[in-house]
Amino acid sequence: MPEANVRHRPAVAMALSLLFAGLGQLYNRRYIKGLLFIVIEASFLITFYNFLNIGLWGLVTLGEIPMLDHSIFLLIQGLVSVIIIAFAAALHIANIIDARNDARRRQRGEPFPSLIESCRHAWDRGFPYIFVTPGLVMLLFIVVLPLLFMVSLAFTDYNLYHSPPRHLLNWVGFENFKNLVSIPIWKSTFFSVLAWTIVWTVVATTMQIALGLFLALLVNDPRIKFKRFIRTVLILPWAVPAFVTILVFAAMFNDKFGAINREVLSLFGLSIPWMTDPFWTKVALILIQTWLGFPFVFALFTGVLQSISRDWYEAADIDGATRWQKFRSITLPHVLYATAPLLIMQYAGNFNNFNIIYLFNDGGPAVRGQNAGGTDILISWVYDLTFTTNNYNMAAAISLIIGLIVSGFAIYQFRRTRSFKEEGNI
Amino acid sequence: MRKALSLFLMAVLLIGVLAACGPKRDVQQPKGNDQKTAEQAKKPEKLVVWVNDDEKQKQALKDIFQKYTEKTGIKIEMVAVSMLDQTKKLALDGPAGKGPDVFYQPHDRIGDIVLQGLADPVDLGDVKGEYSETAVNAVTYDGKTYGVPMVVETYGVFYNKNLVPEAPKTMDDLMNIAKEKTNAAKDQYGFLMEAANFYFVYPFFAGYGGYVFKNENGKYDTSDIGLANDGAVKGAELVQSWFKNGYIPKEITGDIMNGLFTKGNVAVVITGPWNIASYKEALGDKLATAPLPVLDNGEHPKSFVGVKTWMLSAYSQNKEWAVDFMKFVTNEENSLHYYEVAGEMPANEKALTNGKITNDPLIAGFAEQIQYGEPMPNVPEMSQVWEPMGNALQFIAKGDNPKAVLSEAVKTIQDKIAASGAGK
Repeated sequence: MPEANVRHRPAVAMALSLLFAGLGQLYNRRYIKGLLFIVIEASFLITFYNFLNIGLWGLVTLGEIPMLDHSIFLLIQGLVSVIIIAFAAALHIANIIDARNDARRRQRGEPFPSLIESCRHAWDRGFPYIFVTPGLVMLLFIVVLPLLFMVSLAFTDYNLYHSPPRHLLNWVGFENFKNLVSIPIWKSTFFSVLAWTIVWTVVATTMQIALGLFLALLVNDPRIKFKRFIRTVLILPWAVPAFVTILVFAAMFNDKFGAINREVLSLFGLSIPWMTDPFWTKVALILIQTWLGFPFVFALFTGVLQSISRDWYEAADIDGATRWQKFRSITLPHVLYATAPLLIMQYAGNFNNFNIIYLFNDGGPAVRGQNAGGTDILISWVYDLTFTTNNYNMAAAISLIIGLIVSGFAIYQFRRTRSFKEEGNI
Repeated sequence: MRKALSLFLMAVLLIGVLAACGPKRDVQQPKGNDQKTAEQAKKPEKLVVWVNDDEKQKQALKDIFQKYTEKTGIKIEMVAVSMLDQTKKLALDGPAGKGPDVFYQPHDRIGDIVLQGLADPVDLGDVKGEYSETAVNAVTYDGKTYGVPMVVETYGVFYNKNLVPEAPKTMDDLMNIAKEKTNAAKDQYGFLMEAANFYFVYPFFAGYGGYVFKNENGKYDTSDIGLANDGAVKGAELVQSWFKNGYIPKEITGDIMNGLFTKGNVAVVITGPWNIASYKEALGDKLATAPLPVLDNGEHPKSFVGVKTWMLSAYSQNKEWAVDFMKFVTNEENSLHYYEVAGEMPANEKALTNGKITNDPLIAGFAEQIQYGEPMPNVPEMSQVWEPMGNALQFIAKGDNPKAVLSEAVKTIQDKIAASGAGK
């Protein structure tokens, strides 16, 4: 049994461990553990040295010789290296902490558990974490890596004229963001597109939710007959693939040849320029999105409405509540609390609703003196930038802004909804 | 103290890792390919060829590739990749060593491809004269020929013999047809085209002296844009008059035009040979084709010519044989076979003037139009032209002043070229 040893210094153990994993453990005279750590770190360095070396070098320089170095590959390898190093660093820190704890024990003269005992202890205590780890690693490479890649592109000059392998990329810092708000063709367009994106998100989503709620309440009324049939009909718009619907609508809304002007509005002597006037195109888009989006909300609300206990309404009836009061104080809060996260997703989804904008009129009609079409939202504009003008860097910069806006709203809203507040207190 | 020490050590470690000095290698540019002839180079076992993902085209090429294998003993591995996706895929597969030796692209992508360093120039050598001049010009970039042209394509006039017995020879003929046969209320039209699509409208600009980029000795000067000069404005006024007179509705789209023409409601349309199959099915013998009608200044409208081209991957290990292969595929005999099976017009001059094509009434019109056409510019700046010009045509259709609209569009194109990073 080891005795108290005041001359045994934890700082030395930490410093040694920092230098190379396992050295501190050797100093603590825990030889098997120390050797194990040394073997792990050594094999890590031998296996990964070359990969990390090139990865980090590539991440900093993005390559030096055109045609031989490929900036995109180097960038990805660099990001992977950073992730691997983050893992290694976490393990290394764990090793330092372990050395310190052991050193303190030795200082105080406490006994050590045997290696097998401590392994069993770690297994028992860390069981959930050990099983979460593979998933976490996958998550990092599948979710985080592409995001990091996109974010990195926003700070490079990746466009047609700087495309690997013939040309290398360069880091340009915040220049893309500066250009976005200073160069005329970006500036004027960016703000008008952003404004319409917000109007579109708020109006179209709110309308689809309002319509869904209204219909759900109507159909849920006990006096309504043929409920099943009505529900089926109302869910139909959801059943047809959206892109088919949108293309059909695009044909129907054609100013001259479309059914809406020709067969419907002509009865009233009207002819509305749905496709050629930006204002009317926006109206048409909002109408279509409302039509496309309400069935989901309707189905959602119908489900939730079933779960509201009859007793509450009976109690309200006894108290003499009006129809409106019952709706305000029982139905609405109930429905909204239960569905808030999904409704927020509807807003986020519409913010990035590329399909409808692109398929209906390709962001058109054109507006004089603007770099995007009259109904382009940020995401369809980004698509245009990437695929017609190959401005990958600007596209990445705008995507980053979109991502920040959407996640900002989402985080704020989620934190205020009950479903997320109650996490862990079930 | 302890904290400071550990922080210091941590920093030392980090710097140690970060200062890793990168790959060691002799700093030497990879050497340019020495042009050897196929005979001198070692014969490879196989060549990998990316072809467009189209059933008929694959069918035609399979026969031709088979013949090449019989002739030389080199196996051809045919991989179908949509033409539109090939460059993107090549940019990733090439460096990784999984790319093809030969790939297939429309010539207007050459600028992008060369900028990205994906293709090597090809020396056409003694067979250069076999290809039509337009096709060779189309694949020439910076004075070098990139690739061997396979297919040429342009647009022309289709007409319905039930409604007009003869093709309109001049613009006046065409306008008379439009005047007589158009009855928009009944959906009947004398003449329709996608008049807000720059691709189809360009010949009317160019016929009066407009141009996209000034071309001197096979090099495009992208700072000289001729889309707002007097000729272009004159062309734009002509196009605007069709809308003003109500000959062409400004809501026209390709689908609507095809629908009306196949219903037999339209006398004349301007579009490309890719519509032959569906038109023929609908109209049968009544369908006929012709080159674009002559403008009032006596000039033929200069339609855009697109050339589909076999290109040599910069990553190919067997460049000499790949070139030999491309020349074989595009020779007269094989071009004709390709035409018969896939229905596309050959870039090979001898094949194009072969009786099989000139006697085909539906192809002859286009084959003739090609000699008046000019290749679409193959510089990468061209990709910035389409959208502003498309928008300008929409404004012109609405009745805005052509001169003002075109000047604005040219300004936008210049801004876009600058903003896309050109010249930096």
